[in-house]
Amino acid sequence: MGAITTYAAQSLAAVRASFADRTNFVLQMAGMAVNNGFWLVLWFLFFAGFGQVGGWRLGDVARMLGIIYTLFGTATVFFGGYRDMAGAILRGDIDALLTQPKPVLARLLARESIPSAWGDLVTGLTILIFSSRLDAGSAALALAAVAIGLTAWLSTCVIFASLAFWFSGARTLSRDLMDFTLMISAYPASIYTGWTKVLAFTVLPAGFVSMAPVSLVRNPSPQAAAIAIGGAAGYAVLALVVFHLGLKRYRRGAAPGG
Amino acid sequence: MRSTPSFISDRAADFAAMAAAYRAGLASALAAWPVLLGRAIFYGVCLMVLVSFWDKVAAARLAGTLATRLPPGGLGVYIGVTEWITLSIPAVQLRLEDDIRSGALEPHLLRPKPYLVQLLAGEAGAMSARLAMLGAAGLMLLVVTGRAMPAPFALISAGVLGVVGATMGLLLYTLVGLTAFWLRRVLPALLIMQKLIFILGGLFAPISLYPGWLQTLAAASPFAAHLGFAGEAVLAPSLEDFGRALAAQVVWFVVLGSAAALIWRAGLAKLLKTGI
Repeated sequence: MGAITTYAAQSLAAVRASFADRTNFVLQMAGMAVNNGFWLVLWFLFFAGFGQVGGWRLGDVARMLGIIYTLFGTATVFFGGYRDMAGAILRGDIDALLTQPKPVLARLLARESIPSAWGDLVTGLTILIFSSRLDAGSAALALAAVAIGLTAWLSTCVIFASLAFWFSGARTLSRDLMDFTLMISAYPASIYTGWTKVLAFTVLPAGFVSMAPVSLVRNPSPQAAAIAIGGAAGYAVLALVVFHLGLKRYRRGAAPGG
Repeated sequence: MRSTPSFISDRAADFAAMAAAYRAGLASALAAWPVLLGRAIFYGVCLMVLVSFWDKVAAARLAGTLATRLPPGGLGVYIGVTEWITLSIPAVQLRLEDDIRSGALEPHLLRPKPYLVQLLAGEAGAMSARLAMLGAAGLMLLVVTGRAMPAPFALISAGVLGVVGATMGLLLYTLVGLTAFWLRRVLPALLIMQKLIFILGGLFAPISLYPGWLQTLAAASPFAAHLGFAGEAVLAPSLEDFGRALAAQVVWFVVLGSAAALIWRAGLAKLLKTGI
């Protein structure tokens, strides 16, 4: 319980700090919202010209984008520390956290909130509201998909950032791996086959960030739910294990930033 | 009034300083070879996703849609060329944003060589290293995946238009970076520029697939000269189109360069008068 209240208090402080420069906040948020809207229009133009891609149509892609924007926005507003967690580890920022009784991971995640992510959150929720046809059942399913995808995304990012406990060049690497995963997540699952699909469900687990949650919304079934929840839970456990192994190494002074 | 030989020697000194900055940029990019390698891997992942996407679209060939107008070999090589240019351009806008916002720009203003020119020369050096690395990676991927190699003329014209197009891209992102004088954060301007490049530049799809009005608009914009022309060179190579594309690139290069110089002066005037 203490961990959650500490996280909530720090996250709230980070969000407040992101509001400090109002003009900058509004510009960044609006810029991102326009950017996302533009991206959706682009997909609209694409489907107007090409009809479908591997059985996916505009509605499917809109739902997928709604889920991704919402989960990415939520992650980056309320857990924004993940974006440069590798940098924080390499700079030795966690030294101060280690002397305190509260959990290190929660505090690392809550230390920053990125203003532009509000634009993602707003557009994501708007798209979800319209694409789930304001039906309570569909909305609940969409929110469940967001929660599952959010868990998978944050877990994946924690794993990538934890590479900084082992490698000094992990700052750029972890950002690149996050960007790769996000990029793979933002295209219809139907385009991936063979080894690209294997890649999307293992090393760069876009499969569990977007494909499985979106599949749950498109074709709800106990099997789809089991895959999505199981994958996200598996990655969450893996993230905790990798982070704590790395932290142990850091405490011993064996990590590059330790 | 300065004499002509003095003017010439001043210009020669400016060019020598630019060449030195270019060499320094190139050397530092080559020294950070793991970063270059990472970029090449990113290029591979981008191609993997985008080529899978367009292959899927082309495979369906739905009657009555644009899919029937896609080239027989798909858009793999086109995407390879446009992504090669896009990923080779350094993030000059972030460097400008940092220097303008943090005040790191001011000490440069006391130096005899112009900051913006020196910065661009250094970034062009880094861009050359990326163009070479990603170009090699692209050709290697073409061989490994067994896709049909474009004709030599198509490769050469795409290479030439690509290098000039990348230089234009550097100027476009410089314009984005210079908005920091007024906006402080360049993200909003960057997002708008990226989307314009995406649509009018043909990063999303070849502009030859667009409806007539959009095709005309795109072809008349600097964005097609930046990306689309180099990509189209591998789809339908012709000497005439190559000459036309190169001429358009030269014109846009001059226009964008002049715009950057004017905005730089206006921004500097604002900085010196009212600060950021």
